[in-house]
Amino acid sequence: MEPIIIVVAVIALALFFDFTNGFHDTANAMATPIATGALKPRVAVAIAAVMNLAGAFLSTAVAKTISVDLINENVHLGAEMVFAGLTGAILWNLTTWFLGLPSSSSHALFGGLIGSAIAFAGMNAVNFTKVIEKVLIPALFAPIIAGLAALLATRLAFLITARTEAQKNAGQTTGRGIFRVGQIFSSSLVALSHGTNDAQKTMGVITLVLVATGFQADGGHVEIWVILSAAAAIAFGTYAGGWRIIRTMGSGLAEIKPAQGFAAEISTGVTILASSNLGFALSTTQVASGSVIGSGLGRKGGAVRWNKAGQIVLGWLFTLPASAIVGALSAYLVMAGPIGLFIDGIITLAVVITIFQVSRRNKIGHHNVISEVEGASKAISSPKSIRAAAKAAEAAKKSAERATKQAASKKKGGK
Amino acid sequence: MSINWSNLFLVAATSLGAALLVVALFSVGVRLLTNARQAEAKAKKGDDASARVEAISRTLSYIAFSLCGSALLYGIYLIVPAFHLTK
Repeated sequence: MEPIIIVVAVIALALFFDFTNGFHDTANAMATPIATGALKPRVAVAIAAVMNLAGAFLSTAVAKTISVDLINENVHLGAEMVFAGLTGAILWNLTTWFLGLPSSSSHALFGGLIGSAIAFAGMNAVNFTKVIEKVLIPALFAPIIAGLAALLATRLAFLITARTEAQKNAGQTTGRGIFRVGQIFSSSLVALSHGTNDAQKTMGVITLVLVATGFQADGGHVEIWVILSAAAAIAFGTYAGGWRIIRTMGSGLAEIKPAQGFAAEISTGVTILASSNLGFALSTTQVASGSVIGSGLGRKGGAVRWNKAGQIVLGWLFTLPASAIVGALSAYLVMAGPIGLFIDGIITLAVVITIFQVSRRNKIGHHNVISEVEGASKAISSPKSIRAAAKAAEAAKKSAERATKQAASKKKGGK
Repeated sequence: MSINWSNLFLVAATSLGAALLVVALFSVGVRLLTNARQAEAKAKKGDDASARVEAISRTLSYIAFSLCGSALLYGIYLIVPAFHLTK
């Protein structure tokens, strides 16, 4: 049995990850209804929070986490290893949130755990076949499937509700605003399925640690307090609202009209449901982003901001390796003993606080989440700090050039 | 490594089919409802035929919306394991 303080620290960290998972992924369900005005921002996140909470309670049968599959059975999953993995997941999740990138929280979690396992037990610790099978292949196909569904569904919706010029002149409207009402339900479905999926992962991690440290006899069930705290953490995180990512998905990727929003949400919901029923663990985030792009392509004259989409895909590619690296680094720290663990905890806390502090400088909240569409994408791609750094670099370059010129002219003068 | 291609194809086909079905149902509902509203305006001017059109369109649109709603409920049924633990 390991010291209880480490177990407590891991549980706290797992719940904090759950919280970041919530506010990172609010956008999956609520970006499109907020963008079309179907729901007021604060109402939307409240609904998403309730749905996540409900989802976490509804489906507690799935205690087996995919992370167990990815790491070979002969590796002993200790509390320290999970601790290090979680710090990797949290740091990457917060970084992508700060950049407004909708990256997969599940990939961050898997990446962190994989990196930590490699650091602790070597390359053999990870079942790479399973990683490809369960993480990479679905990550490749999920957004494409959802995007295609959303594209065709959007086309269909516009086709069915289209009116001829003559009908329009006779006062006939297309009634496409009615899709806003549908969006309330379709986005709730997405939020619910998110709760059933993602809160599970945290519950699984906590249960894993409890079993590994002997606080729980077997992993066959999930303790009620684990369910309660994980559900509360994800709901609270969802309500906090990841406004930066909502902005990217609601207006940074494509302009969304109610019919498109409805088509995108239905496609997201249906793809997640179909795949989780057939044993494919999809990332909600990737499915939702694929749907938004698909519905953007589906409307005539609808434009997709491909540079933003490219950034997002790049974020997906980096999520697993990047959090694996952070996970591995903190694993090396943790291996140094209790002091290493303490230092790792302090560093994580410091980085988290720094990110929150810096993010307050160009705050994105419910008040400005979907205003000035054009400004939004600019503000996200170049936060103040980056812009300031770029300016400073340019100034430095100029002054350096001036200096070399002066030096050159002096030399000439000397000759 | 065994990638279950047939399952993957099944996921793609079901997702595509179901998404199109639900969105089509809702869109049909939207179209019929706007038809009904248009007819309602005419009916108020005392056009009996339009009153009939309105009633029929409205009923049909409600049917389309409720079919769409049942599809959504079926989705919730699918994600809650408590409903089908018999397996």
